[in-house]
Amino acid sequence: MIHFISKRLKHSLALLLLASVVCFTLVVSAPGNVAVLIAELRGAVAVPGYVAQVEEEIGLNKPLLMRYVDWLGDAARGDFGISYRTGQAVSADLPHRMMVTGTLIAGSAVIATLLSLLLGFLGAFWPYKLPDRVSRGLALIGASTPTFFVGALMIYGFSVTFQLFPSFGFNGPVSWVLPWLTVAVLPAAVLSRVVRVGLEEAMTSPYVLTAKSKGLGRTAILFREALPNITPVFINALGTQVGLMTATGIIVEPLFAWQGVGDYFLAGVRFRDFMVVQACLLIFLTFFIVVNLIVDLAVLMTDPRIRRQWS
Amino acid sequence: MHDEPLLSVSNLTVDLLTAKSAIRPVDGVSYTVRQGECLAIVGESGSGKTVMNFAPLGLMPTGVTTSLSGSVRFGGRELIGLPEPEIRKIRGKSIGFIFQDPMSALNPVRRIGRQIAEMAELHLDMTPRAAEARALELVKLVGISDPVARLRQYPHELSGGLRQRIVIATALAGEPKLLIADEPTTALDVTVQAQILRLLKDLQRRLNMAMVLITHDMGVVAGAADNIVVMYAARAAERGPVDKVLVTPRHPYTRGLINAIPKREDPIGSQFRGLPGIPPTLGAPFKGCAFAPRCDFAVPTCTASRPPLVPSADGSVFVACPVVNEGRAAA
Repeated sequence: MIHFISKRLKHSLALLLLASVVCFTLVVSAPGNVAVLIAELRGAVAVPGYVAQVEEEIGLNKPLLMRYVDWLGDAARGDFGISYRTGQAVSADLPHRMMVTGTLIAGSAVIATLLSLLLGFLGAFWPYKLPDRVSRGLALIGASTPTFFVGALMIYGFSVTFQLFPSFGFNGPVSWVLPWLTVAVLPAAVLSRVVRVGLEEAMTSPYVLTAKSKGLGRTAILFREALPNITPVFINALGTQVGLMTATGIIVEPLFAWQGVGDYFLAGVRFRDFMVVQACLLIFLTFFIVVNLIVDLAVLMTDPRIRRQWS
Repeated sequence: MHDEPLLSVSNLTVDLLTAKSAIRPVDGVSYTVRQGECLAIVGESGSGKTVMNFAPLGLMPTGVTTSLSGSVRFGGRELIGLPEPEIRKIRGKSIGFIFQDPMSALNPVRRIGRQIAEMAELHLDMTPRAAEARALELVKLVGISDPVARLRQYPHELSGGLRQRIVIATALAGEPKLLIADEPTTALDVTVQAQILRLLKDLQRRLNMAMVLITHDMGVVAGAADNIVVMYAARAAERGPVDKVLVTPRHPYTRGLINAIPKREDPIGSQFRGLPGIPPTLGAPFKGCAFAPRCDFAVPTCTASRPPLVPSADGSVFVACPVVNEGRAAA
């Protein structure tokens, strides 16, 4: 187990380093120049030589490799530089924004898990009957509706029409409900199919015939025999979906006026705010890697066949 | 009714209705099994031997509609028409099942101890702790070394033979009166086959259970069974005591089967003797004897009407063959 974790951590570090190079290259090669934007902001874009002056001021005139090494050295110490847009240290903005995005993803992950298990089990318990068709229909709708539209519907339904939840803001659990639901819809739909299909496959397997021959009832078979068999598959799928929630957050956070990492990232991209974009990408990547590590460990715990290879 | 057999099947017919087709894998079969007796059901793949035993007990895959007629009496109770919750109480408790492939018959992510113990909890009203103790007893009973460690292991950690012993231990956990073993040795190594068969036979005698042994291995039949039913294309071709049927087979199909067993006198490198032709597909209706197209002795009456299973010259053996029954000479 320890061996597994240490090996995976080493891989993760290498991956992170590689990813930072890719991020850096992408951001640097993106069109647009932050120096021009800053000059515009200061109303001096027409002054000859001013843009070059700004470039020198913020270090854009240095060679690329040096810029990368400088940035990496600072980032390793937790200093993500200064936002070109606000002039504030990125690392000062980050903790609160990470907390906001963390709240969004954690709540949505829990809702998506519960909802998908409920829908999947409903379908598996009454296969091809009404509950199954309803669950399948909901999954189809949920998986094919764009998230920004889901968010708008949520606001229209729960906030404007019924006035149950506030339509924006990050002020305590009541204000968290709509963003949570909005982000949870797509993963819940996808995962409910994973549960339903996994259970169906398990229910036609020989060990379930054995369980039937033992005189176990349908409920006992579903929960005791089939569920433990789909757990590793479900955890894998859940991990992917939770990773993707960072991307959904970029859309949903601005929609609900949440100052999360996704919102920060979007603002950074708009302003070619290299330091902010780079920091956000690194946070997303780290999150992905950590989620994957947790998923692998959880699968290790739930599947004795994989566990043996590492113990 | 002390004399009533434990299991008495008469004129059982099973129709399977899927979305696209209807087939009849079991067509008017009758047999009985008494306490302490072992009945072998022999036939080639697709002859209906498994469906015949599983369908009346509700062990059919979901999505298939099963329609049963005839009678299956177990312990004085009619099983056909019994609602599923009632049949479920019989499964595992009064009737234990052993399956062909022990590699897939055990749940791969659950500990072996739990898989055995849950039977005792369910059917003998035991506490989890008492059930664990019973699981240990059973694992010892089926001759597994290091039983305490085995209970904590997962199926993939054991060999095929050990797993089949676990499956047997599970089947015994509810103290069944009848064991139904569906090709219990087919998926095992030849050397292990004999051990498992001996174990089954020994347990059956010691616990005074009845046993239905579904197989296509004549060696298994000779070693373990008291009576035999030979199935061909959903019907019983011949039925009787093993010593009589194996020594002097009457039905041409049974003869062909026994003749196909390689003999010690066969010269090395000689060809296998098989039955010519292929078995009919189920679902295609046929009027007469299903075996007639492959039979060396077939006469026109064979294809005219279905031959009934009637006593032969020796009253304990029943044969469904007009040629044998007309002449009474082939015996």
